[in-house]
Amino acid sequence: MTTDTVETADPGSAAPAPGKPAKRRRARSPKFLLAIPAWTWFILFFALPVGLVLLYSLGEQVSTFVQKPNVSPSVWSLDNFGKAFDPAYAPIFWRTLRISITGTFICLVISVPFAYWLATKVSPKWRGLLLGLVLVPFWTNFLVRTIGWQLILAPNGFVSQKLQDIGITSGDLALLYTQTGVQIGVVYNYLPLMILPLYVAFERIDPALTEASKDLGANRLKTFVQVTMPLAVPGAIAGMLLVFIPLMGDYITASLLGGAKGSMAGVLVAEQFLNTFNWSRGAAMAVIMIGFILAALAVFAGIGLVLRAIVRARRRVSLPEAVA
Amino acid sequence: MADADSSGEQTGAVELVDVVKMFGDFTAVDRINLSVRPGEFISLLGPSGCGKTTTLRMLAGFEEPTSGELRISGQPIAGTPPHKRDVNTVFQAYALFPHMSVAENVAYGLRQKSVGKADMALRVAEALDMVKMRPLADRRPRQLSGGQQQRVALARALVNRPSLLLLDEPLGALDRKLREEMQIELKLLQSQLGITFIFVTHDQEEALSMSDRIAVMLDGRIEQLGDPYTIYEHPASAFVAGFIGQQNFFRGRALEGGAGIEANGSTLTSSRPADSLAVGSDALAAVRPEAISVSETDPGAAVNVLRGQLAGISHLGDVIQFVVSTGGGREILARLPRTKAPRLETGQTVWCSWAADHTYLFTAEQADLVLADPASDKAEVLAGN
Ligand SMILES: Nc1ncnc2c1ncn2[C@@H]1O[C@H](COP(=O)(O)OP(=O)(O)O)[C@@H](O)[C@H]1O
Ligand SMILES: [Mg+2]
Repeated sequence: MTTDTVETADPGSAAPAPGKPAKRRRARSPKFLLAIPAWTWFILFFALPVGLVLLYSLGEQVSTFVQKPNVSPSVWSLDNFGKAFDPAYAPIFWRTLRISITGTFICLVISVPFAYWLATKVSPKWRGLLLGLVLVPFWTNFLVRTIGWQLILAPNGFVSQKLQDIGITSGDLALLYTQTGVQIGVVYNYLPLMILPLYVAFERIDPALTEASKDLGANRLKTFVQVTMPLAVPGAIAGMLLVFIPLMGDYITASLLGGAKGSMAGVLVAEQFLNTFNWSRGAAMAVIMIGFILAALAVFAGIGLVLRAIVRARRRVSLPEAVA
Repeated sequence: MADADSSGEQTGAVELVDVVKMFGDFTAVDRINLSVRPGEFISLLGPSGCGKTTTLRMLAGFEEPTSGELRISGQPIAGTPPHKRDVNTVFQAYALFPHMSVAENVAYGLRQKSVGKADMALRVAEALDMVKMRPLADRRPRQLSGGQQQRVALARALVNRPSLLLLDEPLGALDRKLREEMQIELKLLQSQLGITFIFVTHDQEEALSMSDRIAVMLDGRIEQLGDPYTIYEHPASAFVAGFIGQQNFFRGRALEGGAGIEANGSTLTSSRPADSLAVGSDALAAVRPEAISVSETDPGAAVNVLRGQLAGISHLGDVIQFVVSTGGGREILARLPRTKAPRLETGQTVWCSWAADHTYLFTAEQADLVLADPASDKAEVLAGN
């Protein structure tokens, strides 16, 4: 039964007086309901833990044998931050940033051609299979995969042996427990997170656009640079965020493959929690890392905006004044 | 054709020689031969799936023919990639670059040719003026209406001054009024610029109103090539007759000398003898609705007369359309100018009549294409679009 129509055939019903807008009987379904699961999740597993970390970072360690810090407001101070800024930690922070930026960049360089090829050159019936293969590593536990790399990179492992047999290297492989080892491990671990959004971005580009570009005189390379890649930028940004952010906080890869020479900030934070039981210092470090990541993202965004402005300025066509 | 050094005069000429395009074992284009004169406006007209787009894509360079030869401006173009062909395309859905402004879209082709900044700006402005889009030069494509996008696509192609412009149903997405306006503008532009246009459409009215010549296509072949008058007045096949405008089709046995057919007890006479029709063979007769008169009394003297009941009257502006039922589910469609139409009531007995030169005769080969129920010998009305 409609309540919207004024011309109702039933004069006895409570039809609204002509001229007055019909009142909706059914309340408009509140759209925010749809977002409730996401908000609940966000509050329980993101906002609350981050709040807790912030709280801990203000507290102080009770003793080296007690895990939980004292967080009563009377002891609140920023001392932990001062300690976390210990120059001794600086190299690890910088190394973390370096590994993350390099890792993100390598993932991007590997993923762009692959995702492009997968989205535009591979026949649709094979695409699903290949995408599945990209995800195969995700079927195995992150930890197990990384331990697998320990075997591969080991100085006495089979890869080392093979390389020496063929004569490519003369000594044992010196990659395990180095920064390079971690770098290889993170690229392997995070590559699918870069490939997927890029694939989606390339796949969504209307083939007519690249044809139009060629029709207008651009060869394949020019078409890729001027049409395909600019349209895939959102995918590239999504991929870079998906790789860079978790990579900055990575703990497993660095602790299994990095040793002392390849340690990352995540390992440092974990040590504070797990070994020295100094949750407050660990929390302060975690807060600093969050700030560090945000600052890095802001810098990248700035660089991105400048690059975009340059590209746009070069493309701009300023027309001569119209004759009145 | 002329000798090799006459390519200057041939700029914009297009030739297709025995062109075949197969996709797997499906033949999309089946031995097409077509020779387009420089500066000509030629339409490829045909139902969906008849190979129009495929033909254009071969000229643009996006598909290579399976066999046969393509020549543009006298030069064979086999193996020349799209970006090196002196051809531009207006794509079916326009394919404007969403990340560029209108002016940048139009400048795209010039930038690829490294045209200088000042010259580029001048030519882009000129092209935008041509399609009256200069005021919207800084907009993004998504901020434009369909008609505006269409103009930008046209400017983007024409700014390169190609010797050949390919248009794939460029007006298909526009509403009727805009489409008719654009038809006139497009035709005007083409005659001013003198560029060869190959225009793909499935709309027969559009093809008739704009083209110098029309190639009517069916199943990857060209059924008939001719100017609009010839195509309309002398259709080479029942399919062409039915596809261009509307026809009343009758099925029957051919009479002696191809002078008509015997259909359903009536004799339909034609003064356009079809020599290929053997006496007694299965044949089709076609009569256009506008060739048929409807009267309340027996017109006596007329050559072709069919009596029936008036089943429907529709007022289509300056013409009135009558549907006459001749019994057994057979219907005849007649269209008369309002000034010549008698005042009639539905249900009354009327006579349909037409002169012998309005009856076209064909073999029944394409009966299943033009008749709704080809097995019967009922008079049929084919509703063209
Ligand atoms: N890339 C392709 N692969 C397979 N079949 C195709 C391909 N392109 C077109 N076809 C087929 O070729 C026929 C002609 O297509 P097309 O030239 O697009 O027709 P039109 O433009 O006249 O509607 C259609 O049956 C279509 O399905
Ligand atoms: Mg088409």
